[in-house]
Amino acid sequence: MGVLGCIWLVLILVFLYAPILIMAMMSFNESQFYQLPFKFSLDWYEALASNDAIKTAAIRSVLIAIATTVIATTLGTAASIALFRYSFPGKRVLQVLLFPPIAIPWLITGTAMLIFFFGIGLGRGTPSVLIGHVALALPYVIVVVSARLATFDPTLEEAARSLGASSWTVTMRVTVPWILPGIIAGGLFAFAVSFDQFVVSYFLSEPGDATLPVLIYTSIRKGFTPEINAVSTIIIVISMAIMLLAARFSNFGGDR
Amino acid sequence: MNMKKQAAVASALVLIASGAMADEIRVLNWQGYGTDQEFALAPFTEATGHTVVHDYFNSEQEMLTKLRTNPGAYDVVLINAAFFPDVLAEDLLQPIDTSKVANFADVAPDFAANDSLNVDGSLYGVPWTWGLTSIAINSSTISETPSSINVMWDEAHKGRVSIRDDAVEAVQLAALATGQNINDIQDMDAVEAKLGALMPQIRTFWGSENDWNQFMAAGELDVASYWSGSAERSAASGLPVQFVVPDEGAIGWLDGLAVPASSENVDAAHAFINWMIDPAFYSEWNANGAPASANAAAAAALPEDAFNRKVLGDPEVAARVQFMEPVSEENREAYLEMWQALKAAQ
Amino acid sequence: MANILSQDTRRAAGLLTPAYLWLTVAIFLPLAAMLYFSFLSDVPFGPEADWYYTSENYRAFFETGTYASLLWKSIKLGLTVTVICVLLGFPCALVLAKVIQGRSREALFLLIILPFWSNSLVRIFSWAIVLRGNGVLELAVNWVLPFDIRLGLMFTPTAVVIGLVHSYLPYVILTSYLALQAIDNSLIEAARSMGAKRLTILWRIILPLSMPGLLAGAVLIFVPVVGSFMEPRILGGRFGTYYGTVIEDQFTAVFNWPLGAALSFILLAVVLVILALSSPILRNART
Repeated sequence: MGVLGCIWLVLILVFLYAPILIMAMMSFNESQFYQLPFKFSLDWYEALASNDAIKTAAIRSVLIAIATTVIATTLGTAASIALFRYSFPGKRVLQVLLFPPIAIPWLITGTAMLIFFFGIGLGRGTPSVLIGHVALALPYVIVVVSARLATFDPTLEEAARSLGASSWTVTMRVTVPWILPGIIAGGLFAFAVSFDQFVVSYFLSEPGDATLPVLIYTSIRKGFTPEINAVSTIIIVISMAIMLLAARFSNFGGDR
Repeated sequence: MNMKKQAAVASALVLIASGAMADEIRVLNWQGYGTDQEFALAPFTEATGHTVVHDYFNSEQEMLTKLRTNPGAYDVVLINAAFFPDVLAEDLLQPIDTSKVANFADVAPDFAANDSLNVDGSLYGVPWTWGLTSIAINSSTISETPSSINVMWDEAHKGRVSIRDDAVEAVQLAALATGQNINDIQDMDAVEAKLGALMPQIRTFWGSENDWNQFMAAGELDVASYWSGSAERSAASGLPVQFVVPDEGAIGWLDGLAVPASSENVDAAHAFINWMIDPAFYSEWNANGAPASANAAAAAALPEDAFNRKVLGDPEVAARVQFMEPVSEENREAYLEMWQALKAAQ
Repeated sequence: MANILSQDTRRAAGLLTPAYLWLTVAIFLPLAAMLYFSFLSDVPFGPEADWYYTSENYRAFFETGTYASLLWKSIKLGLTVTVICVLLGFPCALVLAKVIQGRSREALFLLIILPFWSNSLVRIFSWAIVLRGNGVLELAVNWVLPFDIRLGLMFTPTAVVIGLVHSYLPYVILTSYLALQAIDNSLIEAARSMGAKRLTILWRIILPLSMPGLLAGAVLIFVPVVGSFMEPRILGGRFGTYYGTVIEDQFTAVFNWPLGAALSFILLAVVLVILALSSPILRNART
């Protein structure tokens, strides 16, 4: 099972990375229209170096995604713990309410947010964008963290409590360490949701404050160039380096 | 160059006359559609002191949504002539003060008098660019230029045809192919049958110039509907593309620049519009692949072999063009329902 | 007893309020406005807006067969993508949780989610480059095999499924992993020492215990896939019309928010009914 299993895992990784590799490859390809055969060129990286719009948008996207991840993960984890630990009237309703934001296409939710924020006078700007991103990421965090919590044995909490630990201590010393892999996975999803979210940013950001997905979405009419591939490749390489470094120095996988 | 200087002086005069300060103007347009050209903005800022910020839309409906939910956010907006009634119905625009747009005098009279742009004696949009929606062929697979739009229905190109995924455009192309007036379609059954017959021919629908170029570059298509300005741009970037105006005619469209009612930088907005219809700007834009200019002086300033002068300026071609008039929301929805039913049956 | 209950409720409220208040302001209230729109004849904007209350947008769903047949097509797509993702992803999660040891596990865990951090539009266009005629896949296959092969995958429903499976596979891998990794290895050891076969262990211990994770992943895939529109449009060619694309058209091709909203809420209702109907079956499967 071991060898076969590892082969399977490798095959899946190949499948997951195939388009990413193509994306990276095309950033080094000469053709503006992604034509094959492949001709090596660094033109698109040179073009990117002098393209301030893409660079600013990329940095803005990363900052918004980080803020979204922190807020959504914190709020989502708290909500998951409450949904797991306590029984109270209306709990089922709260769980079902997580589905509308996932089921209804983002275009409709984004349009709804735009008119609602306009109606209550909140208007456009980075705060509105952040409010929207966090809201869209929250259900994913709650579902993922809850999946991990479902494996948690509540008697552990009771044991700690019977030893005189306060509710806060129990949560931080017993519950959170157990569900840490779930929290991290939820955070990674939150980042992905925000980083790929164009509808909300598109409707709610100030003119001139475009994020990277908005830039890509709006440039599709005229055609985006491999500069987009170049910036995506750089982002993926940097994230990969950060992630592998984090994996090297941490043990969130929860070895047991 | 001389013209540019003149334009700069003219704009500077406007600036001085109105006593305006340097403003930041916000433009709402398609991305990559003229107003955000690097070569135009830097000299504009230099000449007038105004800086320009862009926001973009990806469909006319989104443009309308952005306009109505962001009062005060925009100073100049690009609107297709066929959509002016929708925007005007909500009082979202202010009349253009043509005295502040010196180049307006050169705009072709037909365009300047366009019914969609002029309401109750006021002009609400300055005609800027126009072009055709017709077909373009892959000249590496089709050697003989077709004369009929029916090339899209030709068995020989089965599975190598594409049209834009847009109900109104599809219906109007089918109206052309069935010899009807695109603005007053009498026989919708014929249109539906014609589109139904087109479906098996289609490889894919395209949604943007980006799709179009990639599919054509990959050699997936023989013939596809396209826009004249975009075809110029694709050909200029080395794709084997030839734009065709068939015997049955083509759909003409006109884009205008307008000033939202809520704009607070009205003078700067007018100065920008004036800059945009200037022949000097247009010549440079045309070299990079542009739609036709509504400014007669700008069109006349093009080189003689320029597509926008040679083909679109040809009276024979002009006679075949049917200019698109506003489509009522009712018809729009009816077209969409038919189009979706046809696509869903695939 | 009543006292304890209310204390529970109070504590729960403290933890839940921030998240649900946020969701209320940013999602529930805006969607409530959309729900209201779905009962209007036209959007109430502009000085001369002319509208009335009506249920015609919901009736439209039943009047032509188009919407219902597309919804059915999208549900089948959702099921196909979910099943494929589970079949591909669960074994992968099992290997990650129970075979791989040490730090490489964390690294692999992160590597699986990383493709998610790229832009979906760029990702889909990359798939187009792979799948299209004379694309990367055909070139690769023809380089390996001596004879000429035309796969013709681009612009087919298969291309849509491939693109969607790729986009959603990490969900089921990671949620399954979270549950699988929590299973005590000594439990599996004990079963093995008592002579249980591998398949029995998988079926009687591992699968039931990891079911919460597997289900969470499946739901996170099925629900959004039914409403997806980007992958179908770009990869599906003339077969790429699904329920999600029809909803999108109501917002981008015409200005018919009421119909678009009504179609969205029908989608939501159908998805919730499917989840409700399948939950007892799945719960039975667990025990």
